Amino acid sequence: MQRLYEKIAMDILRFITAGSIDDGKSTLIGRLLLDTGNIKNDILESVKAGKENGDVNLAFITDGLRAERLAGITIDVAYKYFTTHQRKFIITDAPGHFHYTKNLVTGASGVDAMIILIDATIGISMQTLIHSMVASFLGIPNLVVAINKMDLAGYDEAVYSLLKTEYNQIAEQLKLDNITYIPMSALEGDNVTSPSVNMTWYKGDNLLQYLEECKTSELGENGNLRIIVQYVANGFIYGRVVSGMLQTGSHVNINGSGINAAVKTIFHNYIEVNEATAGHDICLVLETDQPVNRGDILTNVNDNLQYTNEFEADLCWLDEASELELNKDYKIRIASAEVTGQINEIISKTVVDSSINYDSNEPISVNEFARVSIRTNNKVAFDNFNQIKETGRGILIDRDTNNTSGALILR
Amino acid sequence: MNHLDVLESEAVYILREVAGQFKNPVLLFSGGKDSTLLIHLALKAFYPLPMPFSVMHIDTGHNFEEALSFRDSLVKQHNLQLVVRKVEDTIKLKNLEEPGGKFPSRNALQSYTLLDAISEFQYDAIIGGGRRDEEKARAKERIFSVRDASGAWLPHNQRPELWDLYNGQIHADEQIRVFPISNWSELDVWQYIKQEKIELPSLYFAHERQCIQFNKRLVAMSEYIMQDAADVIITTSVRYRTVGDMTCTAAVESTARTIDEVIDEISASMLSERGETRMDDQISDAGMEDRKLKGYF
Ligand SMILES: Nc1nc2c(ncn2[C@@H]2O[C@H](COP(=O)(O)OP(=O)(O)OP(=O)(O)O)[C@@H](O)[C@H]2O)c(=O)[nH]1
Repeated sequence: MQRLYEKIAMDILRFITAGSIDDGKSTLIGRLLLDTGNIKNDILESVKAGKENGDVNLAFITDGLRAERLAGITIDVAYKYFTTHQRKFIITDAPGHFHYTKNLVTGASGVDAMIILIDATIGISMQTLIHSMVASFLGIPNLVVAINKMDLAGYDEAVYSLLKTEYNQIAEQLKLDNITYIPMSALEGDNVTSPSVNMTWYKGDNLLQYLEECKTSELGENGNLRIIVQYVANGFIYGRVVSGMLQTGSHVNINGSGINAAVKTIFHNYIEVNEATAGHDICLVLETDQPVNRGDILTNVNDNLQYTNEFEADLCWLDEASELELNKDYKIRIASAEVTGQINEIISKTVVDSSINYDSNEPISVNEFARVSIRTNNKVAFDNFNQIKETGRGILIDRDTNNTSGALILR
Repeated sequence: MNHLDVLESEAVYILREVAGQFKNPVLLFSGGKDSTLLIHLALKAFYPLPMPFSVMHIDTGHNFEEALSFRDSLVKQHNLQLVVRKVEDTIKLKNLEEPGGKFPSRNALQSYTLLDAISEFQYDAIIGGGRRDEEKARAKERIFSVRDASGAWLPHNQRPELWDLYNGQIHADEQIRVFPISNWSELDVWQYIKQEKIELPSLYFAHERQCIQFNKRLVAMSEYIMQDAADVIITTSVRYRTVGDMTCTAAVESTARTIDEVIDEISASMLSERGETRMDDQISDAGMEDRKLKGYF
């Protein structure tokens, strides 16, 4: 047997469970943790409470707040961890209720995969649509549609096929691709960590197999150089290479501004190195008199980084307390840069109801999506999200409340 | 990148965000493994410069000797700026009631001392070693966790936190608690300690100790707990999985004397880290949640 202290060649997969209230998200996570041996005895004891027969209440494993346990629903995102011999997994258990969609957006940002659960006995709901919209907005690279509670639908292939066809139409509308469908019973464990004996008609991977093989989002070493500057002190520039690579002696450009500087020294991991690539947190010394500040993006010379004060973006509004106000000053944060700016036009609004349609006349309030045009007081550097994610996304901060009021995708 | 590289990178990025966004951050350091890990990460994050924050110990007075001397030697080795504030002084100053009982833990009182120190030094960001897999209330907390003027966590109204765009904007009387190692498990911490050859207090490795057996737990004999004639006292080989207040941290029976043996032992353990060692979480199902509502880390 391989010993765990020798086992450090694992990578990390981050995934989120979504779906309407009671579709079985918390139960699924409980099941995954239990079946992979990742629940310790004392925790197991504490979740037996509330069940007369001493059965485990799988959903209790993730609901962390007293109010959540009392109400039996998930309000905010909870993070859970488990490892198999392949990987370390970070699970985000997100709330299903419409009211808490903004928390789902928090949990879904930065995941490699989303699992959308659909209750086979109920079918596609409003929440299924909204969560699919979130997946589409955030550009989540891998999607699983889990048709759950198949035990209550007689493990019937026809039920599964019908839902699959219905969901495919939504996927097309939302331009979602890379979808895997799995028929499942989270409660009974069918197709969660082992193949289902009740659904031999299903030939695909079970969920755990899928998760162990699913591609993680790696930063692109072959892309154009991007260094996000986070902190500068005494001429030492601290930041992360999020794309491409750099070498000592080469030249970098500051914010696509025409100002170039030679790379004198690179520090990484307590030593001086000659080269750094995407994923490395580095400290740089440049040969230049030009100031480099937090918020700057360093690129190769003659790069196509955008540096402007007028642009469009996809927006999701996250603030319960206020609606989006046109022409109001907000703080706009893109990578580490922070500028003051205004939304000067709502180009279109996405309304998710029984179907998905577009209408631009309503104000934008919490949990809603729109395409907007933005003007900033000072220029800001960014990329198209579809090319380089890390420099193509942002948040909008309310200057009075300091709340994170909106999520921005620049594409 | 393997999982340790990813976790390290995430923590380094967060620590640099703190330096970039705040005027006066502080890192909480107790001499325990998680805060020692934080110091290691902070030194790495800002190399070749020294780390740009001071470190603070909220001292309950019920310390393990080994943790205190380790704290002081690490501070000396890296030339850190250490601030110590004592729960004992807060008790006197505020006329608080000393906890009673057999294991009189000052753990909950730490929040008062912490909040006083935060206002004394005007800290705007407080970096802590909390991990989400430790406890179910912690599992819900953001990386940048906004606390109101009274230091209280507002679990029902947490700020959205997207990608790694941590929003550190606060009003004058608020503070942010920052948790750079949120996504680390106990096993990750130990694998990383092995990889980076990080020194720890000897408490974390098996040693002979005189303990009282209480509720299936082993509590070290010390001047801080009340001994009874009925106590079952045994001397046995133990180690600590977590190190906190001597009165509320239990030892575990162990013969693991090396890092590899410790890693083997925790991977095989059927009990969670806090479940096995913390007396304070056992009190109620929402023990941690309640303390966090009152300003606890
Ligand atoms: N029969 C059957 N019941 C299920 C299955 N999955 C979940 N359930 C039940 O459905 C109910 C809701 O499950 P939860 O896991 O709490 O649902 P959730 O999606 O996490 O709900 P929220 O947290 O409120 O968003 C519970 O009573 C579960 O036992 C399944 O596969 N089959």
